[in-house]
Amino acid sequence: MRYTEFTPFDLWLLAQGLGVTIGLFLVTSLIGLLLGALWGVIRFYRVPVLTQVITFIAEILKNSPVLVQLFLVFFGFPAFFKLNMTPVNAAIITLSLNTAAFVYVIAVSSIESIGRDQIEAARVFGLTRWQVLRHVIAPQALAFSIGPLTALLVNQLQVTSLISVIGVMDLSKIGANLNLRTLKPFIVWTAVGILYYLSAKLVATLGAKLEKRLRAHSAFRGL
Amino acid sequence: MLKVDNVKKAFGQTTVLDGVNLTVNPGEVVSILGSSGSGKSTLIRCINGLEKLNAGRITVDDFDVSKPKELAEARKRSATVFQLFNLYPHMTALQNITLAPVEVLKRPKAEVEAEGRALLQSVGLGDRADAYPAQLSGGQRQRVGICRALAMKPRYLLLDEVTSALDPEMTAEVLDILAKLAKSGTTMVFVTHEIEFARQISNRIVFLEKGKLLVDLPTAEFFAADGGLAQPRVAQFLSKMRKD
Repeated sequence: MRYTEFTPFDLWLLAQGLGVTIGLFLVTSLIGLLLGALWGVIRFYRVPVLTQVITFIAEILKNSPVLVQLFLVFFGFPAFFKLNMTPVNAAIITLSLNTAAFVYVIAVSSIESIGRDQIEAARVFGLTRWQVLRHVIAPQALAFSIGPLTALLVNQLQVTSLISVIGVMDLSKIGANLNLRTLKPFIVWTAVGILYYLSAKLVATLGAKLEKRLRAHSAFRGL
Repeated sequence: MLKVDNVKKAFGQTTVLDGVNLTVNPGEVVSILGSSGSGKSTLIRCINGLEKLNAGRITVDDFDVSKPKELAEARKRSATVFQLFNLYPHMTALQNITLAPVEVLKRPKAEVEAEGRALLQSVGLGDRADAYPAQLSGGQRQRVGICRALAMKPRYLLLDEVTSALDPEMTAEVLDILAKLAKSGTTMVFVTHEIEFARQISNRIVFLEKGKLLVDLPTAEFFAADGGLAQPRVAQFLSKMRKD
């Protein structure tokens, strides 16, 4: 058997790569969602200084390439601050913060999309700012933001492929290794592409289902 | 007692309330008339604490609405019905009604729900408790709005042009309910353009003009030739409104 041929073990390698990709995607998405939502709440309360700091950080994260951010976290900061940084940690930090920045934007715009009149009504009936956020704003903002959030997460899933550059053994890195060994780029990258596609499709489907459930109250089904 | 004491309010350069004095005693129905832009809605928004006063004082049962700590207490004693209903669109009619009593008054949910259903029943919406606002007509929405206010068992009911967004048939639905409330002794501050209706249910009528309280008279006197009608601006306003 020549070394360029595929073996059953390659499938196992691909599965492992997919596991790393999905694992990192889930962890960074969860951190990103929580952090972005928290930033959104801080802005909702207009916490002085903190709000400006968050807006500034989010601006930088949104407007620079993820690959550059990744290099900065993996090579730049450790060199400057004399830290140890593993590829996985660098990947988690970078992708989480990047997701958080976009979640923050979505959170802010969906909070602002809720009609002032209902918020005023709730305040007049004596609900505190927190109660208004919890019972009036959050449920509607969530329903409103599921669409953009799903689109964001589908995109962030593809973005995880960048971390292969710093040596994380994710799906893309495994694909690159297999490609080097088998010299069959068409088959390897097709297989890798299909795996990404299926994962992304799964995220999109789950998002659509959730959106349908959260929007049960608006009977409008389009023109 | 609800007391508005020399209240002034301006938005930028525009003076909206210019030294308004008004006292509403428990059990009274006071209607506020005046042309658009006379400051009627702003007065309501000042009473329920949505606008900050530039000068003067508003107290609801001696709780000053300008003081954050007392405002919470003042808001428990009054409830507002809004011109555009301002219902929570993601909640059913019943949930709209029970939210504040449960969250603000900390009353048991089951009890509040039973009361909410009874309120809906009393305004003819017994079978729409689980409908969302989008599934209700304008008149039905406003009736839910009234139930939401009544569920707080307010000492003062503030009504801000509650029929302006409704057609005549739906207006009648809503006014019927308000007439019943007036009869049962609910204290109401009623901003309206429904002059005939105001005449029927009010103890007193107040006329606002360019942020000033021009007339404050018992209903019969307000419509008497030597009372409110002696004011040229009031006579003009009434004749115009009746022609429409």
